Order: sequence, then C-alpha cells, then structure tokens
Amino acid sequence: MNPAITVEHLTKSFGGRKAVDNVSFTLPEGAFLSVFGPNGAGKTTLLRMLATLARPTEGAITLAGINLKEEPEQAREAIGLISHNPMLYPDLTAEENLLLYAKLYGVRDPQKRVVELLDAVGLKHRRLDRVRTFSRGMTQRVSIARALVNDPSVVLLDEPYSGLDPHAMRIFDELIDSVRENRTFVMVSHDLDKGLALASHVLVLARGRVVHFGEKDQMSPDEFADLYRTTVGMGVS
Amino acid sequence: MERESECRTAERGGTRSTLCKAPSTWTQYKTLLAKDLKAEFRTKDMVVSMGIYAFLVIVVFGVALSFARPGAEFLEVSGGLLWALVVFTSLLGLNRSFAKETENGCLEGLLLAPLDRGVIFLAKATSNLVFLVLVEVIAVPLYWVFFSSFAAPAETGWLLVAPLVLGSIGIAGIGTMLSTITAATRGKDVMLALLFVPVIFPLLYACVSATTCALVGGDVFADGFLTSLALGAGYDVVMILASWVLYDFVVN
Amino acid sequence: MSSKTLKLPEAGQWPDKLVAPALIAGAVLTTIGFLMAFFYVAPVGGATVNGAELIGDVMVSQKMLLSQKIFYFHMPVAITSFLALGFGCYYAVRFLMTKNRRFDTCSRICLEIALLFVVLTMITGEMWTRFEWGVWWSWEPRLTTYLILMLIVIAYFVLRSSVDEPERRATFAAVVAIIATIDVPICFMITRLIPSSIHPVVLREGGMSPEMGLCVGLCALGMMLVGFALYRARFNQVRLTQRVDALKETLDDER
Repeated sequence: MNPAITVEHLTKSFGGRKAVDNVSFTLPEGAFLSVFGPNGAGKTTLLRMLATLARPTEGAITLAGINLKEEPEQAREAIGLISHNPMLYPDLTAEENLLLYAKLYGVRDPQKRVVELLDAVGLKHRRLDRVRTFSRGMTQRVSIARALVNDPSVVLLDEPYSGLDPHAMRIFDELIDSVRENRTFVMVSHDLDKGLALASHVLVLARGRVVHFGEKDQMSPDEFADLYRTTVGMGVS
Repeated sequence: MERESECRTAERGGTRSTLCKAPSTWTQYKTLLAKDLKAEFRTKDMVVSMGIYAFLVIVVFGVALSFARPGAEFLEVSGGLLWALVVFTSLLGLNRSFAKETENGCLEGLLLAPLDRGVIFLAKATSNLVFLVLVEVIAVPLYWVFFSSFAAPAETGWLLVAPLVLGSIGIAGIGTMLSTITAATRGKDVMLALLFVPVIFPLLYACVSATTCALVGGDVFADGFLTSLALGAGYDVVMILASWVLYDFVVN
Repeated sequence: MSSKTLKLPEAGQWPDKLVAPALIAGAVLTTIGFLMAFFYVAPVGGATVNGAELIGDVMVSQKMLLSQKIFYFHMPVAITSFLALGFGCYYAVRFLMTKNRRFDTCSRICLEIALLFVVLTMITGEMWTRFEWGVWWSWEPRLTTYLILMLIVIAYFVLRSSVDEPERRATFAAVVAIIATIDVPICFMITRLIPSSIHPVVLREGGMSPEMGLCVGLCALGMMLVGFALYRARFNQVRLTQRVDALKETLDDER
C-alpha cells in the first residue's frame, strides 16, 4: 500500500532555534493522524510544512507521491487545509468565495461543484449571502467546502474546533465523517478526546521532537493520558 | 494554454484529485483581479474613503494657500501640490487594500492554491492601480475646480495625464509590495509611509517635473517634459520588475 | 534521546585578527589625510553654479573657500556609506538564496555601518552647505540622495524592530535592503538629469588636481578601513550574543 505521507528527518530551524527537530514518520492512505503536544511544540509548523506554506530547513516530505520540495505547486492540487482562519472574503458571497477557489484550482465545471459542496455542508440556501453575515459555525462549514473544492486526497486541520459551540462541533464532525473515505487526514488539536476519537494514528511532539508515533490501538487510553500529561509537563517555557 | 497537471497519473500513489487541472496564469490573474474588483465594488468603502480623503486634503491646501497671490507663479507649485495629494491618498488606499487579505487569513488561502506568487502580485497591483486611477479621475478635476482662480494652465496642461498614469503605475506596483511587507508588522500605516516615501521619491520627482512642465508650458515644457517622462518610465520598469521578483520572498 | 550535536553560530574567524590593525591603519590614514587637507593641498575654488543663482538671498557664482576642505571628509564618508550599503545588499541577496541566519546578521551590521557613515555624510554635508552657500539646506542632487538614503536606512531599522518572528524579519529586511540599493542610484540619476530651479546642479571645477586626488584617496581608504574594523568588531559582538542565546536555549532544553 502506498503511504500517503512520508516525512523524513524534517527540520525547521532559524539561527539556533529548532521549531521542528528531526521528525520522521510514515502515514498510510486513509489514515487519520492526530498530532498532540504542548504549545510551541512545533505542531503548527509541521502542518504548515505539509501544506507547502513553509519550507523545511532540512529533510523531505513526500505527499501523495509528490516530493514537496521539488514540486510544491503540483502537490497543492492534492492538499486541503482547514484552520481556525476561515480564509474567506467577508464581502463576497459563499458561492463567490468557493467559485474563486474552484477557478484558481482549475476545477472542471466549477459552478456545479460549488453548489454540490454547499449542499453537502447544508448551506445551499445561504449561498447568495455574504460570508460576513454568517455565524462562526456556518463560516467553518463553508471553510470545509472551500478546503474540499479541489477534491484533495490529503486534508489538513489546524485547531478546527476553536471558537465553535458544541452544536457546531457536532455538525463539523459529521461533515468530516462523510468525506472520510479514501482521504488521509492530519489534525492538530488541543482537544484530547476528540483527537483520539477520530484518530487511527497518533503523533506526540514536544519541543519539535517526536515523543511518540504509532497507531492509536497500540496504547491504552490510560497509558496515553499518562504520556500526554508527562509531555505537556515538559512544556516549553 | 492550460498546463496539464500530472497529478492524476496512476504511477503516483494516493492522489485522487480527478477534478482539477491547474489553469493558465492568465486565467488565474483574471480570477484574482475580478475578485478584488468585485469585493471592492460591493462595499465601495475603500474608493469612497480615498475620495473623501482627497477632498479633505484639497481643503487643507486651500487653507494653506489662503494668502498666496494668484498669478503665473502658482502654476509652478500646483503640479507639486497635486502630487502631494496623490501620495497621501494612495498611502491610505494601499494600507486598506492589503488589510482585506490579512483579515480572514485569505492570503493563506491563496497561497495554498497552485499559483505562481508573482500572479498574486500582478493582480493586486492592477486592482490597486484601478482604484487609484478612479480616485484620481475625481480628484484631479476637483483640484482644478478649487484652484482655477489662481492661474490658468497652458494649452499643454491636459498632458499631465501622462505623468499621472506613469506615476500611478509606479505607486501601485511598488506600493503593493511594500504594503505586503508592512501588513505583517506592528506599526502598519506608519511603517508603510516610512518605507514608501523614500522609495517613491525619484518617481515623484520625475512626475512633479513633468506635471509642472505641462502646466507651465512654453520653453519649460519643451525642455523638461519628455526627459522627465522617460526617467519616470525607467523607474517604473526597474522597480516593478524588482518588486515582482522579490514578491515571492515577501509573501510566503 | 540521542545525543544532540550542538550547532552554535560561528564566530571568531580570521578577519577578527585584522580588526585592531585595520582600526589603527584607518585612524592613521585619516589623520594624515586631515593634515594634508590643510597643509598640503592648495585651496580650491568653490563650486560653480550654472549661471549666477539666487541662493539664500545672495547672488552666488563662485567662491574661493577654506570651507571647501570639508570635501576631503565629506566625500570619503559618503563613499564608505555607499560601500556599506552595497555590501548590505550583497549579504541580503545571499540570505534570500540560502536562508542562513549568518547572512542576515552580516547584512544588518553593514546597514548599521551605513547608517553611521550616512549620518556623518549628512553632518559634513550640512556644514559644507552652511559655510559655502550660507544656507542650512539646499535641495541639490547629492544632498537629496543622502537624505533619501538616510531615510531608507532608518526605515530599515524601524521595520526590523516591528516584526517579531525572526525569519520573517530577516526576509523583509533583506528585501528592503535590496530595494534601497536599487533606489539610491536611481534617485541620484534622476535628480541629476532633470534640470530644476531650486535644485541647482552644482558643478565642481572639472577634475581634481593630483594632490586633491591623493588626499581624497587617502581619506577614503582610511575611512573604509575604519568602517571594516567597526563592522568586524560589531559582527563579533553580535555573534557572541547569539552564541550565548543558543547555549541558554540548550540549557533550557536539558532541564
């Protein structure tokens, strides 16, 4: 089985400080990786490198069979990112926002795809309303649609639950579930329970280094909670 | 000409995207430009505030010149004053234009797309140019209306359109790059002004010279107009090229 | 955890040994130049303006002045400031290509030296303008270019202090350094090539006599050596500070 993501000796440093230090792991297709760690552990930096938004100092990432250093532009067609920033223009309508991205990615028949996506996230009836008028939960849903517009095989999530009420969180989870199949996910979250519930694989980082990586079932929940507590206790000053 | 992406070939493991095919640079440029124009014309807040600000600057000039005597000498300063107006107004516009991108993290969204970073620069610079020209179309006649009592410009006066266009292109180009830098700093507006004024100085000088030549007419015009325009054009070419090349580093 | 190799910012390389000799040589040369300026080189006719001009309410055409001697300091510091800017640009380009923090440090220090020397240029230029023309400031091409250079270098440092993230700060600073290096010559050319009434293109008597040339050359060389010595000393200081910071971080980690 082809690995979806291969990370080899990834390092991001500037001057003496290493944000990410010699991180390596392999993720199979269809996996859901939850990344945990204290603040400043390098989780967001790692995710940004996976999204091609930042360039590593050393090491290599192979995502969906593409080497990110050599062909970042092509890799972008296979990546979707959902972060706490919705990345939507507030003065444009939901439809216009999605059409913009659809055209930038060169999606075939963009109009149809956009309506389909908005329908899937349950906002088809609001597609002609400006994003400025949406609630946080609704904005996040449109953001999911935006991330999926290019039908990515790898979806990256950076603290997607921040600012969402429990109802919105539930809807978010349902949506993620509905698109789980044949996609690989990497999520950074502070929410231990949610992260573990969705995950098939777990990565724990501290000070940029890998503390633990493996399938979720390899550890019992208690063992994991212990590890997490110790790691967070190692927190960066 | 569309670039066929290889992301859908069977040899590449894991890629499933069958929907997209990175479009041509021109299409992407058009899309981005349309987005900027659409977003602005929906609210019109940037153009309106720039327009009002320009009007207020004219009023301040009016007070400043309250005790100046009308006469031909006025034409020698009026070109310069017009350009002062353009610089202040464009500083306002440049700040706001980039604020829209950083507001909801939209710039990151664009960076995620399979885009050449230079396209983002060109689209943004073009939209800034459009807004600036729109404001100038209103502000310049307004300026003339308010100060026409001082002196009548020479017949070559209408030629000031040429330095206006040249100057606006330069301001939009280098201003877009500088505002991308300063949008990520703490003292946004002031920082932009600090960087913008020294960098734009040569262009300003050339454009003021050309505008004054056009307004004064006669020998002065024959002497300086074309030289100034040529130098301004040279500045534009060099600086916009440099901005385009350096934009990649700045926007990441 | 495997043993970590400690990579500290490097410092203390061979150019450091040259600092003391360079500083002394520079000081000596500058002093010789200073003495030469007053005792060796003949007083020179001041600048000729193209046509008689009204400057500061006085008709000026030509002046024979002792104050022209300031030129022997003004020119060398000006040259050194441009040189420093040029090196700053070179290191900025190398930084953008390699993202190695060392080049950012080099670039920043070059700009610091440039700031120092451009301020000296402005002061000597100011003095010269005052004594020769009788006014404090004149918008002539060279003075205007120095002013713009000074403003950009100041903006460079304000920019550096208003960005928090180190890599971003270095990238932005490098871009501004490159823009500055492109802008300054353009500024000089444009103000020179466009004739204007209040910006008199001040013409100096064609060519310099050999003694003048020698004096300027010596002073310039002296200033450059001083500039280099200051650069290297400051670089050393900054690098050592960075080493200490890196060590502190490692100790933090160990705990």
